[in-house]
Amino acid sequence: MNRLRINHQNISMKSKIQKKWIGLLLSFFSIASFAQTKHTVSGYVKDIANGEGLIGVSVYVREAQTGVVTNPYGFYSLTLPAGTYTVVYSYIGYQKNTKTIELNADQTVSIELADESENLKEVTISTKKDDENVRSIEMSVNKVEMKTIRKMPALLGEVDLIRSIQLLPGVTTVGEGASGFNVRGGDISQNLVLLDEAPVFNSSHLFGFFSVFNPDVVKDVKLFKGGIPAQYGGRISSILDVRMKEGNSKKREINGGIGSIFSRLTYEQPFAAGKGSFIVAARRSYIDILAKPFLNKDLKDSKFNFYDLTAKVNYRLGNKDTFFASGYLGKDVFGGGDFGFGWGNKTLTGRWNHIFSNKLFMNMTAYYSNYDYNLGQNENDKNAKDRFVWNSRIVTKSIKPDFTYYITPNNQLTFGGQYINYDSSPGKATAVSEGEGLNLDLPSRHADESAIYIANEQKLTDKISLQYGIRYSYFRSLGAGIEYSYRDTTAGIRKQPIFPGKEYQSGDVIKTYGNFEPRFAVNIGLNSVSSLKISYNRMSQYLHLLSNTAASSPLDVWTLSSSNIKPELADQVALGWFRNFKDNMYEASVEVYYKKLHNQLDYVVGSDLLLNQFVEGDLLTGRGRAYGAEFYLKKNKGRLTGWVSYTLSKTERQVEGVNNGNWFNARFDKPHNFTTVAIYELNKRLTLSSNFTITSGTPATFPTNGYTWGGYSLGNNYNNARNNNRIPAYHRLDLAATLKARKKLFGIGEGEWVFSIYNVYNRRNAFSVYTRQNEDKPTASEKAQNLLRTQAVRYSVIGSLIPSITYNFKF
Amino acid sequence: MKKQNINSKTVFFQIAIVLMAIIGLSGCEDVIDLKTETGPTQLVVDGWVTNQPGKQTITLSWSSGYFDSNPIQPVLGAKVTVTDNIGNVYNFADSAGNGKYTWGLATDSLGRIGRKYTLRIEYEKEVYTAQNEIKRVPKIDSIAYTNETLPIKPDKDKGQKTGYIVEFYARDFVGAGDTYWIKEVLNGKTNVDKAEKISIAYDAAFSAGAPSDGLIFIQPLRRSITYDSLYQAGSHVGVELHSITNEAFYFLQQVVDQSTNGGIYATPIANIKSNVTNADPNGRKALGYFGASAVSRMETIVDPAKARPEED
Repeated sequence: MNRLRINHQNISMKSKIQKKWIGLLLSFFSIASFAQTKHTVSGYVKDIANGEGLIGVSVYVREAQTGVVTNPYGFYSLTLPAGTYTVVYSYIGYQKNTKTIELNADQTVSIELADESENLKEVTISTKKDDENVRSIEMSVNKVEMKTIRKMPALLGEVDLIRSIQLLPGVTTVGEGASGFNVRGGDISQNLVLLDEAPVFNSSHLFGFFSVFNPDVVKDVKLFKGGIPAQYGGRISSILDVRMKEGNSKKREINGGIGSIFSRLTYEQPFAAGKGSFIVAARRSYIDILAKPFLNKDLKDSKFNFYDLTAKVNYRLGNKDTFFASGYLGKDVFGGGDFGFGWGNKTLTGRWNHIFSNKLFMNMTAYYSNYDYNLGQNENDKNAKDRFVWNSRIVTKSIKPDFTYYITPNNQLTFGGQYINYDSSPGKATAVSEGEGLNLDLPSRHADESAIYIANEQKLTDKISLQYGIRYSYFRSLGAGIEYSYRDTTAGIRKQPIFPGKEYQSGDVIKTYGNFEPRFAVNIGLNSVSSLKISYNRMSQYLHLLSNTAASSPLDVWTLSSSNIKPELADQVALGWFRNFKDNMYEASVEVYYKKLHNQLDYVVGSDLLLNQFVEGDLLTGRGRAYGAEFYLKKNKGRLTGWVSYTLSKTERQVEGVNNGNWFNARFDKPHNFTTVAIYELNKRLTLSSNFTITSGTPATFPTNGYTWGGYSLGNNYNNARNNNRIPAYHRLDLAATLKARKKLFGIGEGEWVFSIYNVYNRRNAFSVYTRQNEDKPTASEKAQNLLRTQAVRYSVIGSLIPSITYNFKF
Repeated sequence: MKKQNINSKTVFFQIAIVLMAIIGLSGCEDVIDLKTETGPTQLVVDGWVTNQPGKQTITLSWSSGYFDSNPIQPVLGAKVTVTDNIGNVYNFADSAGNGKYTWGLATDSLGRIGRKYTLRIEYEKEVYTAQNEIKRVPKIDSIAYTNETLPIKPDKDKGQKTGYIVEFYARDFVGAGDTYWIKEVLNGKTNVDKAEKISIAYDAAFSAGAPSDGLIFIQPLRRSITYDSLYQAGSHVGVELHSITNEAFYFLQQVVDQSTNGGIYATPIANIKSNVTNADPNGRKALGYFGASAVSRMETIVDPAKARPEED
């Protein structure tokens, strides 16, 4: 106290220049308020039609030339000196709302925004630009509005979030039908896919053709490719943050549709006089029901369906507390005869939003997530003479408090933590042969991961804003279990375990890893319509997907870090230039990135990743690097909307024991990647859309020599190379038309037809090109001459154009 | 459709194909022209020694360009010997001058269970060697066959809609880690003309991870001798069970993997690891495999009167 007084005196005594300096310093660390009285205006921004909280709405104070954006729950808070302000609430696709606020005491101002399409003809003239992408510190982030995703042409007319994501810059896929997506040189397991904050371990239905997200319940989708804020962690390449709708809090709403694959139905309703609402949605594939009459005998028992159920409920208790509970259950069930196969995700999330003061917002999340699969013969017939049952599962449970402290509009502090408990059962099998049976249980694995973080978003000057933070993650591999070490051998060959392994009891700590993960971003405004952004992030990952196939299969097992598997780490720097044109009608960006990946997994030749107790002996470790440039031009307004994106990139791996230890192309490396998405609103009833994609082919390995052994024609690559060739380029055009029905459905509802054609010009794009022994029967002369019988084959997942019709309705 | 020759991954993939086809997402394969580089030729070793009496053959040839349409070149003038661990030396001679080096006595066999064998090949200045061992093999207890009607009429060259599934019964030895090669026998000769037909067992199931030590071979393996078509009354059919080392098991698995590596779950194509090594570590590497096995065999003629009734 004394000291402070001295400081005060000092300040008052110093010359003007010094005062200025200290003032600047203080503004740098302006945590404390100045002498001037300040008040806070806070509240929620919601959609007028259904009461859904809107995420990322710009709340801009004209007089103070500053602003904030709403958080994932639609909450905002601004602390300003007393005065009268004009606050502009703006959000893409919504009409702007301007409020005059007399700020002489703390107050709550909640706002509702109306959809722009309600009022399409009216040209909204704004005095201040809603150039969020230029002003925000976020970079390497793509947000695709659900409205857009719904209008894009989709395979078999099924609106698909993951397939839409694949059209963004910096995002690729190994091919059609492959599960997941690859971001800036990361493999699919390096994306944290969050559904209402719970991780989804397998985002696919039907192997990889459709994603598990029901488009009718998704409110918001955001993909972080770089500059990842400190509150996120656990995967090294990207975060796909999917938020579910809360349920219409104004009126009952029913949505549904009948497509070629799924039938969908969603029901939403408010309760407790609008204080709460819920949403329940279900989808099921029904091709099996249609096919049933045509199947005979053995095929009659064919099982072939996939479904998902999504539900969410929220309740607002007073003005300070909101509770949410949401859940997802998805399952794929396949089988024929006595053979069966299934997989599915389950997630359950509970959340509590609490406003401590109008400056401090807390969200507490607890979730449970489960992924499992089962495969077998006569799985459910315990008395069968011959049986085989195999299953695997991973369960995570977590609690995660996140706080946002809206100190001033120029300083927004976030802090919090997370605790995750992992329980993995990599494989359990039972084999019964002629009535005799044996069981094999691969030892289950336990671990936990804790993290704490703190970050500040700071507007340094009118032109410069910063985001800096740090996350510390700490992983413990836990008993009970036996940990083996492995004998060193020539790189690339299976390592043998050393017996006996070291035994651990329940509660023992087997191995720990800790990582500091610094995050940093800066936005330098160049002028009112353009800015330069730079970011760096380090990420760590303790959970690894063992997958040695071209596309990841639902059987792939997630395994935890251990003494033998080090955490995966990634460092990424990105630099971007952002500019808006024509009153934000267009937004453009150019980003370059460089990413280094550490402790990347690869596999020995002939690796056996399933039901293998010593699977760690089949793993190889290496490193990766990825770099590229992404060009993106998006048109946000007008009748024609959409984007053009081009990515030039390189993704490589280096693993001792593969490709002679030299760098090689990762299997999802596609140097050129060009996409366009165009949506044209012809009139109020008819909307047309198209997607066009052209990318480089994926890498491939071809033999340099052939030989025969045991009568089989085989291939060999003399240089022992990996991925040194490439398959032909991929390109595809899709078209769709959405036609709103003229007549009201049953007098009250709305209906629309969606016609789409996938792969319009009927191209057989190669998924892979491979070589094999000629499949024809050898002729007598071929046999006599002892010829090598080899051929090259192009494999296309989709061999023709695919038309489809979907009908959607809404009450 | 009952596909008999399964391992978990291929079953999974086959089911996937059928399911995709139902909704019109059927993948398609087209044979295309592909230009590849050609590497230097390498020695290819292809031979097994067994405990069966009669001629034993070790074939030596040269690798060629992958799409080379010329006949495969034999390796001529090599000196080939097999030595066992108690000092017997067997000289293999290329009497026909076609690269097939043989040794044989009608009355005796070369191989004995439990012995280790070393192959030595001298060609010009190069020396290649390989080791193997003959493991124990269980006897085949019986062969049975069951009436079967396929749900759909098979393609022209895939046999008839009705017929018999033939299976054999044998029991794996107690003690984990026995590996076997199961071969279909048709009209007295083994019939394994395609790599995808290779049926190998680890204990009584498909892989080291499956819990099957000491069991009767599991049903998909028992039935692996009925591969892509049903047998008919009067078919002269049987099975050969070869004991193989774990190393041979993984070699064969790689042969299968390389030969069935289509689809979206293909693994990176990798060279199949040979057990033949060049004495000069900087010399050209060899390809192929030198194997050793003991063989059990049983044959029968399908008699409708003895067939089991069709399963529902």
